[in-house]
Amino acid sequence: MVYTLGIDIGSSSSKALILADGKDIVSSAAIQVGTGTSGPGRVMEEVFRDTGLSLEDIAFTVATGYGRFSVKEADKQISEITCHAKGIFHLIPGARTIIDIGGQDAKAIRLGDNGNILQFYMNDKCAAGTGRFLDVMSRVLEIPLDNMGDAHFKATEWAAVSSTCTVFAESEVISQLSNGVPRENIVAGVHKSVATKTCALVRRCGELQQEVVMCGGVAKNPGAVDAMEKALGAKITVAPNPQITGALGAALLAWEAYQKQQ
Amino acid sequence: MRTYAELIAEFKNIAENPRKAMEAFKAETGKGAVGILPAHVPEEIVHAAGYLPIGIWGAQKKAINKARTYLPPFACSLMQSVMELQLEGVYDELDCVIYSSLCDTLKCMNQKWHGKTPVIVFTHPQNRKIAKKAANVFCREEYAIVKAKLEDILECTITNKAIQNSIAVYNENRAACRKFCDVAAEYAAVVKPAERHAVLKARWFMEKSKHTDLVNELIAALTAQPAPKFTGKRVIVSGIMLEPTELLDVFEENGLAIVADDLLHESRSFRQDVPEDADALMALARAWTDFDGCALATDADKPKGRMIIEDCKKYNADAVIVAMMKFCDPEEFDYPILIQEFAAAGIPNLQIEIDQESTVFEQVKTRIQTFAEIL
Repeated sequence: MVYTLGIDIGSSSSKALILADGKDIVSSAAIQVGTGTSGPGRVMEEVFRDTGLSLEDIAFTVATGYGRFSVKEADKQISEITCHAKGIFHLIPGARTIIDIGGQDAKAIRLGDNGNILQFYMNDKCAAGTGRFLDVMSRVLEIPLDNMGDAHFKATEWAAVSSTCTVFAESEVISQLSNGVPRENIVAGVHKSVATKTCALVRRCGELQQEVVMCGGVAKNPGAVDAMEKALGAKITVAPNPQITGALGAALLAWEAYQKQQ
Repeated sequence: MRTYAELIAEFKNIAENPRKAMEAFKAETGKGAVGILPAHVPEEIVHAAGYLPIGIWGAQKKAINKARTYLPPFACSLMQSVMELQLEGVYDELDCVIYSSLCDTLKCMNQKWHGKTPVIVFTHPQNRKIAKKAANVFCREEYAIVKAKLEDILECTITNKAIQNSIAVYNENRAACRKFCDVAAEYAAVVKPAERHAVLKARWFMEKSKHTDLVNELIAALTAQPAPKFTGKRVIVSGIMLEPTELLDVFEENGLAIVADDLLHESRSFRQDVPEDADALMALARAWTDFDGCALATDADKPKGRMIIEDCKKYNADAVIVAMMKFCDPEEFDYPILIQEFAAAGIPNLQIEIDQESTVFEQVKTRIQTFAEIL
């Protein structure tokens, strides 16, 4: 049995996954703090827990994500866009459009029939349309991030929230709250704002290609997915365990790199 | 004969220390320096006066504080940096500065100069392709005004003959720079992106005949050995400029060589010679109306994309990277046209943002690394 390890160190979470012979997931772990924190160390401990394996048993390690260059155990660093594309295509071979919204990045990726990346776009240096935007709004609205999805589906109408700037949008939300707009309606408006921003990235990749798959931490929020579906006018498949697809892709690429070495 | 590494070290030293280059010129000639703001300023008129035309292109990683009092938040990164530096008095040792008015930001900036030096402002005619004859006459007159103001400020006379001589010096330098770019493409395994940039950036801070000599020496040193095989990918870059230098290091880290450019800071400044004309100012005017492929120079035919695509064939380039100056409206308006043309030609392309103030490059690293991985 040959084990490969994928480590995805993002801006707000750390993920790791061990793969056996390039196909079977032995273990995976996610810690909700990212690069520069205890997250990378803790996720490494977590992913090996109860596996009977240690780092010496790993044949090849690929690091990805914002903090990929700080992972000293890695044999190679590969960008998270390549890793997410690899992971998603492995899980869902019909995927042709990927929407990945993480802590501070949003990406639209267009895949070819063999899973190769044809085009990709990332957000500008701006928190609007990313997980951080939802984080800020969750605090202002006093609704925990995990409950944002439920609140979204209770909305009677979607409030207008700007998609231009997190700071301006925060002011808008505060004034909506002081005007008595129901919080659920504002939550839906916040999700619409994220969807609008991300849709612009998707459209830059050209005509929308099905199947559309969403991954990254924000994909765990059904309200954000619903807003994205409405904005795109298309059904979205949420990747199984969407936060871990980058680490899966990294482990798969580690397997390929290992085979190339042999 | 000096080695390639020794010569590159000299170019880097000049590119990183414009003040030192200016002081050396002053010590050697007893004359001063004139600031040349972007873009398309006829430097030859300054050179003909015996002064050093010195490029003003902001500063890398300079935190913007005071400039925000005078500029809207969406003024381009380059002009934010220039404003910050002028407020700090960095340009006060210049004898004067020359501004064109080729975009809204330049037009407004040149009316609110905060340095102590005199300012010369002029206008390029933008009817250059549809009414060339009239545009030439207008442009020549604008350049005559620049010349007269320079003569007044510098207390000298700039003759037609002197401008003709300077045009010859500049054309020789343009040819040397073009040759260097071709050789750098051939020696892609040797010439790192940051080194290529240093050679071309130093051009803005040196008397041009000296730069020509140094470039020719570099070409001789480079071509003394056969070109090693380059195993990475070959890209062409387009935009206003490609700095901070860390961005160029990201290219190198990901196995990308810059085999040609369409940067205002680099090739757009030397890819075309000034034509011959008995009237030197008319020659400079004709250079403006002949010029192609810059977002700042109106041309409804929009040839830039086609020019870059031709260069892709000429230099066997794998892809194009557009270095988009943050909040540069003219370049941003051209971009949708470019990506459609690149897509039709099957040329992979990527846009990265240029913000001179940047000190963190993680996002651009991800973009460039992914792009290199899919090429």
